[in-house]
Amino acid sequence: MSIIQVENLKYQYPSAEHLALNNLTFTINQGEFIGIAGANKAGKTSLCMALCGLIPHFFKGAYGGNVLVNDKPVRDTPLNNLTDLTGLVLDHPFTQLSGAKNTVFGEIAFGLENKGVPRKLMLERIEEVLHLLHISELRNKHPFTLSGGEMQRVAIASALALKPDILLLDEPTSQLDAARTTEVFRMLANLADQGTTLIIAEYNIEKMALHCHRILLLNTGSAIDFNTPRWVFSRPDLNEHGIVPPLITRLAKSLHIKRDDGLYPVETREFNALGGFVDA
Amino acid sequence: MHKLSLFVDQSSLIYKIDPISKMMYAMIAFLTPYILPHITAAIAITALSFSLLLIGRVFRHIVPILGVSLLLILSIVIVQGLFYPDNATPLFQVMGLTFYQEGSEHALLLTLRVLNMLAACGVLILTTPPDVIINSLMRLGMSPRVGYVLLSVLNIIPHMRATMARITEAQKARGVELEGNLKTRLKSFFFLMGPVILSSLNQTRERALALELRGFNAHAPRTFASASGAYPLYKISRVCVVILLLLVVSWRLYL
Repeated sequence: MSIIQVENLKYQYPSAEHLALNNLTFTINQGEFIGIAGANKAGKTSLCMALCGLIPHFFKGAYGGNVLVNDKPVRDTPLNNLTDLTGLVLDHPFTQLSGAKNTVFGEIAFGLENKGVPRKLMLERIEEVLHLLHISELRNKHPFTLSGGEMQRVAIASALALKPDILLLDEPTSQLDAARTTEVFRMLANLADQGTTLIIAEYNIEKMALHCHRILLLNTGSAIDFNTPRWVFSRPDLNEHGIVPPLITRLAKSLHIKRDDGLYPVETREFNALGGFVDA
Repeated sequence: MHKLSLFVDQSSLIYKIDPISKMMYAMIAFLTPYILPHITAAIAITALSFSLLLIGRVFRHIVPILGVSLLLILSIVIVQGLFYPDNATPLFQVMGLTFYQEGSEHALLLTLRVLNMLAACGVLILTTPPDVIINSLMRLGMSPRVGYVLLSVLNIIPHMRATMARITEAQKARGVELEGNLKTRLKSFFFLMGPVILSSLNQTRERALALELRGFNAHAPRTFASASGAYPLYKISRVCVVILLLLVVSWRLYL
């Protein structure tokens, strides 16, 4: 069942000379874990903003086409109503913090308080996300005293606590170390299994290849491809779009190790099963 | 991070009183010397406020605040002692200047009012975190937008100060002269304020986005993560405050 439908979406920022999003058309199903890949200025952040309604409600400019979220046209639906459906985690965790709370616990509660979630349910959700993001020990710390990685986890927890149907994440692991990044991706994959639709714009191609169901490849605002990680990362022209495929895929390409369908593997286990050998 | 708050984080009886009762007490204490313009009443309510500070174990934290008000008190004593319009009875002389009894008594009343205001405020702000005070006001119906502005100022200004310190260090490392005569300092001010203001503007826009997404403008009735009745002395303190108010009004009406 499709939860997001994008038809001929075009968008240009008020002072910009070029389109940030250029004629995008695609559909995303409920529970899918979608990765958005692309070089700088490919339109990843703009697309996230357009899917959650910040474009066109917060950012003005030239807007064309149609975005339907849960069958509601984004352009005609007030942002307040859209925020019940979608959550967004931005790349800079510091500005995600409300600045009005003295503890991590209070920070996570901020959105829930605004939305009038009953206190009992609110406390349950806060405990759940504190546990999920492994930040229980930070609960009484002042959010501004946290490290970048800790802030990022608090920002993700704050968005998750609102239980959106669709969670958009714009480079959510930019300040996390490798272990925490792996944890966050695993947690996101679990959420997708439970029915949350996840859309992540990331530079971490390795993790996206492992966890995402489909990859949307963007270049200067246009969709180049929207298919499985294997399909997208098997493209011969990835370099032209500013993308370096996962290490395993590069290895498979140079060793000419292919699957029966002609695509290259994106994960170690698959690579080894095809006759290659990498010690995982 | 340095906090923009005078709250003293410890535990005592006064900390078990809810913020609204403390706010009510502060208001009654503010008004009492005006409702009852007798020195006795001013002494009584000032003594009560200082006693509460002692019970709250925060008395020593009010001393620096009283120190700041010393200049004001001194000017009150001098001006009133010398120039109060009803001055008639000479009290004492200092360097040829005569202080009068009427003016000195009035100065005492004004001084007590100042001390009482500071002490009553101290009971509230030294024993209650600012966010708790503002949340309590929001529960009473204060606009969440106003509450957010007040709370964010308390948090973001110290953070901006920290950013300023970081930028100062970074500019020093690049060899920008930040110390010296007035001209050098004025020049360095530009190098410091530019990055601080630009980064703040950028952060403000991103924070506005984040707030929108977290339902800041939602129309649903607001709820609170903290329990409303989490103060053990909630009921008794309300009763005490009401009794105090009745005593003050009765004194005014019948005595």
